[in-house]
Amino acid sequence: MSQPETYLLSRTTLPDSHTLAVSRNNGGYAALETVLKQPITREELIGIVKDSGLRGRGGAGFPTGLKWSFMPDPEKDPRPRYVAVNADESEPGTCKDRVLMERDPHGLLEGVLLAAYAMRCEAAYIYVRGEYRKSYDRLAAAIVEAREANLIGENILGSDFSCEIHMHKGAGAYICGEETGLMESLEGKRGHPRPKPPFPAGFGLWGSPTTVNNVETLFNVPFIVNRGAAWYKTMGSDASPGNILVGISGHVERPGVYEVPLGMPASQILENYAGGVWRGRSLKAWIPGGSSTGFLPASMIGVAMDHDSLKASGSMLGTGAMIMLDETACVVRAMEVMARFYDHESCGQCSQCREGTQWLHQIFKRIEEGQGRMEDIELLTSLASGMAPGKTICALADAAAIPTHSIVRHFQDELEAHVHAGCCPYKTSGAPAAPETVEAGT
Amino acid sequence: MIKIIINGREVLADPKKPLIAACHENLNHVPTYCYHPGLSPVGSCRICQVEVRQGEMPPRVVVACRTPVSEGMIVETESERAHETRRECLEFLLKNHPLDCPICDKAGECDLQDFAFQEGQASARTVEARRKLEKRKSLGDVILLDEERCILCSRCVRFMEEVPKTPQLTVSGLGSRSTISTFADRPLTGNYQGNLADVCPVGALTLRKFRFRARVWNLRKTASTCAECSRGCSISVEVLRGGEVKRLRPRPNEAVNGWWMCDHGRFTFDHFNDPARNPGAFVRGHRGLQVGDAASAVAQLTDALRIKERVALVASPFLTVEEGERLEQLRAALGDKSSTITFVSPAANDLADDILHTGDPCPNRRGLEELGFRAEDAAKTAERIAGADFALVVGEKVSELIGTLEGVATPVAAIDTVVPAWKTCRLAIATLYSVEKSGTFVNVDGHRGALTPARPVPSGIRPLESLLDDLIGALDKPGVSA
Repeated sequence: MSQPETYLLSRTTLPDSHTLAVSRNNGGYAALETVLKQPITREELIGIVKDSGLRGRGGAGFPTGLKWSFMPDPEKDPRPRYVAVNADESEPGTCKDRVLMERDPHGLLEGVLLAAYAMRCEAAYIYVRGEYRKSYDRLAAAIVEAREANLIGENILGSDFSCEIHMHKGAGAYICGEETGLMESLEGKRGHPRPKPPFPAGFGLWGSPTTVNNVETLFNVPFIVNRGAAWYKTMGSDASPGNILVGISGHVERPGVYEVPLGMPASQILENYAGGVWRGRSLKAWIPGGSSTGFLPASMIGVAMDHDSLKASGSMLGTGAMIMLDETACVVRAMEVMARFYDHESCGQCSQCREGTQWLHQIFKRIEEGQGRMEDIELLTSLASGMAPGKTICALADAAAIPTHSIVRHFQDELEAHVHAGCCPYKTSGAPAAPETVEAGT
Repeated sequence: MIKIIINGREVLADPKKPLIAACHENLNHVPTYCYHPGLSPVGSCRICQVEVRQGEMPPRVVVACRTPVSEGMIVETESERAHETRRECLEFLLKNHPLDCPICDKAGECDLQDFAFQEGQASARTVEARRKLEKRKSLGDVILLDEERCILCSRCVRFMEEVPKTPQLTVSGLGSRSTISTFADRPLTGNYQGNLADVCPVGALTLRKFRFRARVWNLRKTASTCAECSRGCSISVEVLRGGEVKRLRPRPNEAVNGWWMCDHGRFTFDHFNDPARNPGAFVRGHRGLQVGDAASAVAQLTDALRIKERVALVASPFLTVEEGERLEQLRAALGDKSSTITFVSPAANDLADDILHTGDPCPNRRGLEELGFRAEDAAKTAERIAGADFALVVGEKVSELIGTLEGVATPVAAIDTVVPAWKTCRLAIATLYSVEKSGTFVNVDGHRGALTPARPVPSGIRPLESLLDDLIGALDKPGVSA
């Protein structure tokens, strides 16, 4: 089988790929030069991105060109305008943006500059996850290099386009990866998501028009400009063109970040890229795109990894962070860990989320510890329905509710087994071991 | 104004206000916790969910406090879906709320209790213990915080930021571990802390001065006007079983005080409950001032007003417009014995701010000046009394405001709530406190604030108007009174 075409990771394997010289020798900033020198107008650039069908890689999959076109007309709205780059990458399981920022920071900067040009923004803010020291340092160094090369700052490459790029370090809050929480945090406030409307394009950073894009989303843009929307659409599926970075973790032979076309069946990614489930075991459950997308049973591993196919399966593409659980894993225990995460990370504004995430965690903990009741299973569904969808300011409540629904839908037997056994059937004297792989006497 | 339909009835809504305001103004009860009409809406408690239909779009459940109104919007506040969504939200709010309503000061006026009762949530689906937190955390001299009762609506945080503009409170901690706190646990400061207990929709923020003093359903609430400065905030005077004033609270009045009042006005009510008030009349005999008969005291006062040539009439700044009018009639009846009425005007205090407090302790300055009364400080007033043959000082607190009258020999008659200690005081007739009177104060901007009696007039004390009417009547008749 021939490997599909890749572009996102094309520079990342080169020696010193993070430097400006290597980047420019390998096509870096070519799109920016084309746009500024040819020139391609702002409207044309937005048109190209729209035509390409690029969808946001942060989780929701919103069409990027459409999002850019929501920015108000600068003739009628004299406020300053900003691009904010979501590099918080806080969704559990996700580690794709990190590869791009560490190994090809100039690729991101070029994407940011193109977005700023298209939306007439005078500044961009990159909100980098606080734990990503290396990403931050590489980006900071790249900004210095790019500024010296007149790629950032006043009159970029001699054109009338000027743009500053600033960096901001997060402090480890999941909620600051939510776009309005990110903006609050950038402004120096608590990362409390804002109610929408108003949307960021109308009232964003410091009350000015702002567009928040994910790192990988912007990373796609220079390639689309260089090679055209038609080329872009040759990859991926019809409704979700292009390639995506999937980060596979969990019980696989070769965990890692891989570039695959959207729409590739998950089973193919698992087998061809990650080397299959480790130790010759079989798959029990998997998460398609970060913890918020919930568990799917092994029987659904054939689903295509794109926005619409996964939505039809009752899940989401999310960030493409696939987590694989083998037959020895306890999904209830996995869910309990996730529920604890959401309880810990809920910002606490909305009643349903603040109390609901705590409640869900308490119930999963009880079930996992053998203190569950049969009525708890129904209670889980009822609580998750009370929290989401769309009942709170941001989607964190949804992110806790979706896995809860998924575990009741697909793994009710495991929940019941915990209740009946009065303990976790996958746990013996504290050490995780699967019942069927006891190798006593060998 | 635009037209929207709420529960099948077409109503007019202000497009500058969120949907919840239109619901409330048209008496459609939608519960709220984080929303307060005087504060910016944040839409975080999620309890005000209603069902909205707009054009061809399918009906949506939205939070009414963050939803702008638009022409033709169809709103259902009582649909099954709206109720169901609110019930779900309520269950989450109650999850960790302590079951201490029987000892909670807010019980009886608690939005959470009322709505839980209305929606009939009598049992909980939790088996876990409720959150254990600080039950009586001091936030300074005015407010105590019960962290367990707090539902984190953030009204108090926004109040401090938006009304006195002294941000001192914040939500600290994350998620279910959030609590309200001040920076570095410093005590709250400022003259508006008492409002925090009012904005708190539950019993989390309570007033030290009201805590455990009364059950709210035993309080009789009367609409009245604050007498502590010339702002004249609209207030509710709350009296326990017709006796003691237990609490003063602001009453919404957008033109005067919004939804707020200052702590100075709120907590100045102990004197209303002072058992040492003048119960009727005191007359000076050979053993000093002694309890006398009110009718004969009035008769003596009439005689004195007839006989004396130069009479000083001094009013309290707490006199209502109506009382002032009667006093002016009395002055007219005295003819050239008394040329002007003055009222005692104490020096401005240092409480003035650009929020509510004017710093002027005369609540009816404007009303009295419009009647032609002249403001004079205590020293000038004493001089005026010293220069007269006889002085009649009238109204609540008047003798306290005039001071000691050291070295003044003029005989004085006082109509006051307390008996003055002056040696020259010939007689003292009791009068009413502002919380017992009806009448009008005119505030600094010309707004008229009504006083309504909040408790029965004590027997033996007559309203000033009727007392002055008698005096005027007697003076109009020639001859010596009986």
